[in-house]
Amino acid sequence: MSAGPTPPGKPQVQSLNCPGCGAALVERSFGHAVTIVCDSCHSILDAKDRNLQILQKFKAATNEARPLIPLGTRGKIRGADYEVIGFQRRTIHVDGLPYSWHEYVLFNPYKGFRYLTEYNGHWNDVSILKALPEVHDTAPPSVTYLGETYKHFQTAKAATSFVLGEFPWQVRFGESADVTDYVSPPRVLSGESTGQEVTWSMGEYMSGRDIWNAFNLPGDPPEAVGVYENQPSPVSAEAKSIWVVFAGFLLVLVLMMIGFDISARNEEVFSGSYKFDSSQRGDASFVTDDFELKGHTSNVQLTTSTDLNNRWVYMNYALINEETGQAFDFGREVSYYHGFDSDGSWTEGSPNDHVAVPSVPAGRYYLRVEPEGDPGYSVTYYSVSVRRDVPQYTFYGLAFLALLAPAVLLTWRSLSFEHLRWAESDHPPASWGGADE
Amino acid sequence: MIRALYLAYGAAVLLALGVAQYNGWSLARVNEVKNVPRSVRDNPGSYRSVYSSYHHYTGGK
Repeated sequence: MSAGPTPPGKPQVQSLNCPGCGAALVERSFGHAVTIVCDSCHSILDAKDRNLQILQKFKAATNEARPLIPLGTRGKIRGADYEVIGFQRRTIHVDGLPYSWHEYVLFNPYKGFRYLTEYNGHWNDVSILKALPEVHDTAPPSVTYLGETYKHFQTAKAATSFVLGEFPWQVRFGESADVTDYVSPPRVLSGESTGQEVTWSMGEYMSGRDIWNAFNLPGDPPEAVGVYENQPSPVSAEAKSIWVVFAGFLLVLVLMMIGFDISARNEEVFSGSYKFDSSQRGDASFVTDDFELKGHTSNVQLTTSTDLNNRWVYMNYALINEETGQAFDFGREVSYYHGFDSDGSWTEGSPNDHVAVPSVPAGRYYLRVEPEGDPGYSVTYYSVSVRRDVPQYTFYGLAFLALLAPAVLLTWRSLSFEHLRWAESDHPPASWGGADE
Repeated sequence: MIRALYLAYGAAVLLALGVAQYNGWSLARVNEVKNVPRSVRDNPGSYRSVYSSYHHYTGGK
């Protein structure tokens, strides 16, 4: 009986022992890793050497943070299954302060390696570029990749400050590389140079919740703190589109203004000229002839024109419906002063006044007029004009402001978001518009 | 989402503007009085405006 070829079985991890401490090692990358780090004694071992030669040992702090995604966890990224096989922490120093982020090495036997990075709850799905981006020596510098332009964000020297698991390169504790990030949210292009060699990778922003779902992790992801370099703004796209909608609304507003202007009756239904002698005692009130207000319920504009000169009058008006007894009662102060002092000539007020009485139904009306004035003065000549359905522009102004406010608010939020993003960069907002180094 | 909200909000603003313009709304301070007696026509002094002696400017700079 022939045994025949052995059928392919379920992939098994290979068990090894650390030559430094004898602890069991798990190799998950099926021989693709270049180095493997012992979880117990933190020996960095040569995974390509049968005897797992110790390349380096390092001391890890006893309170060292463990990976948020444990090694060996499997998850689905971009539709493919990956297993977390390595973890490292990298640290940069800015103004003497250390800033650390974490990198996870993911492996799929058919797809190869990809990476996840995490900083303050912000995650990126990272893969190595297969083509080189085009670097532009602009101010600030930029790169172009696949037709998309990325702006320079930051250049820093990043040192490896903790490693665990397997890596597809010769990882070393303490080794450093110059890392330059260019951003075009939600993507970031990173160039890592060690000596003459530059490795480019592209990261795409992911939320902690997406990562937790992808790896089916228990609990909640750490909350994202602040704004990350390639974090997509939640409002930028909306802020741009809302201005297009605003322009549309503005057009409708103008069309409405033209339409109402054309269709308004705007007809004079009454006018009269009068004289008021404030020095005379007694009741100065009188009523006008009646007049007809036609059309639908609309406004009535009453204009008072006087010959006032450094004086005032107060006009008590009542627009009374002859048939229903409904009255619109209002008072208007008309005053006009002028003079000359050390600052030059000045004027205050106006000898004329306009008021729009709102929502007056159609019908026959008359005006009751009762002028009041300073008894020390004598005669005021004035005229009263009543117009029906006169276009009023105050509400157009209010509507314009009401439409503008959300667009301005959203744009302000978008700019604030970008301000926070770039505050952490080599090109903080204080240098915007100025000369960048 | 924000765009949809803004569309609804803007449409409401323009609708309110249209209603205000059609009905002749104004921001003027006017007091509406019901059932003014017909006698006011013949005796204007019998009616007292609520704004009578409301404010007298003593003015000038």
